[in-house]
Amino acid sequence: MQLRVKLNLKTGSFIAISGESGSGKSTLLRILAGLEEATGEISVGDAQWQGKNFLLPPQKRDIGFVFQDYALFENMNVLENLLFVVKDKALAEELLELTHLSALKNRYPNTLSGGQKQRVALCRALMKRPKLLLLDEPLSALDPKIRTQLQGDILKLHKRFKTTTLMVSHDPSEIYRLAESVVLLDKGFVQEVTTPKKLFLKTQGSQKFALQGEIVEIISVDVIFIAVVAIGQQLVEVVLDRHEAKMFHAGDSVKVSTKAFAPTLTKLL
Amino acid sequence: MNMIKVVISDIASMEHLNVVSFLCGKDELRMMSLDLDEKMKVGREVYVGTKASNISLAKDLSGLISLSNQLLCKVEAIDHGSLLCSVTLKYHDVLLESVITEASVEKMGLVVGEVVTALIKASELSIVEGYDA
Repeated sequence: MQLRVKLNLKTGSFIAISGESGSGKSTLLRILAGLEEATGEISVGDAQWQGKNFLLPPQKRDIGFVFQDYALFENMNVLENLLFVVKDKALAEELLELTHLSALKNRYPNTLSGGQKQRVALCRALMKRPKLLLLDEPLSALDPKIRTQLQGDILKLHKRFKTTTLMVSHDPSEIYRLAESVVLLDKGFVQEVTTPKKLFLKTQGSQKFALQGEIVEIISVDVIFIAVVAIGQQLVEVVLDRHEAKMFHAGDSVKVSTKAFAPTLTKLL
Repeated sequence: MNMIKVVISDIASMEHLNVVSFLCGKDELRMMSLDLDEKMKVGREVYVGTKASNISLAKDLSGLISLSNQLLCKVEAIDHGSLLCSVTLKYHDVLLESVITEASVEKMGLVVGEVVTALIKASELSIVEGYDA
């Protein structure tokens, strides 16, 4: 597959990269890191990382990279993992403080939870004060609650260090929370650069609450009809009048929508 | 979905919130909305819509009422069910459908041919996509 990307990113911004599997998201990050060959130009600030007949080796690029797996040094404790990158104890202590890891600084990776390990990996990626922070689905292996906590940590670190960040993610809520803009890749091409809200908020006319589903059955009751609609793993019911009922059949793909004023939220225990 | 062709006559905005006014003939309709599509400007013709179950009916309406949308309609047909009732209304030249309880129809003594007020809350009216007039 060909990957053709032309992007200008504002210094200090947080950009999400989204798209189907195989659209080239991770490859793009690896090219920026110098881990994958490509032709073209990469400039970061005043520095050129790649040009005609010129390739800055990965270790000379100011980059922090965090992958889905933590890749920590198992034989070093948390603090040593950070100091291995740069011997800047003040920065290491600050990073650990910001991510609530100070109490764990003498622990070894194999005694930490997945969420804690990934926080260490994030801190370690920032030890070089990189120009570019690359996050390749860093939270996708974590359960939803831990994921939300780490999103908060990522946001905090971004506010503090203002590192230009590129994050590959599939999760709309994560992208909405963290990124100011999102690059949508499709089969190696930039399909759209937009805001998370514009990309993910499904609307129907002026209705802001819209979901896609499939009609499972339409039941006639008294003078009304009830359409049973499958949305993801759930079923919902929508009342139709007789004119609406005539327009739809079981098996139809439909958009279920209502005004943002109508739905009620209840906290799940 | 009941649909009425209208013209946008005013848009009052505050951050992400809007109250949009429409004219249908001389009648004013009003809608609460979050962010509006950029295409929605004063003077544009659109269809507004609401579900049959969002239309309430009133007879000899008097006193003050907060409901923004009060449409004088003629009852064209009444389809009696056991519990619910589908009332077809003529508003200007469009037909609207209201689904109300059979008990309400009985209480109001609703019959074909009489004039009623169809009531729709501003939060239950929306601009229908794909039916730009």
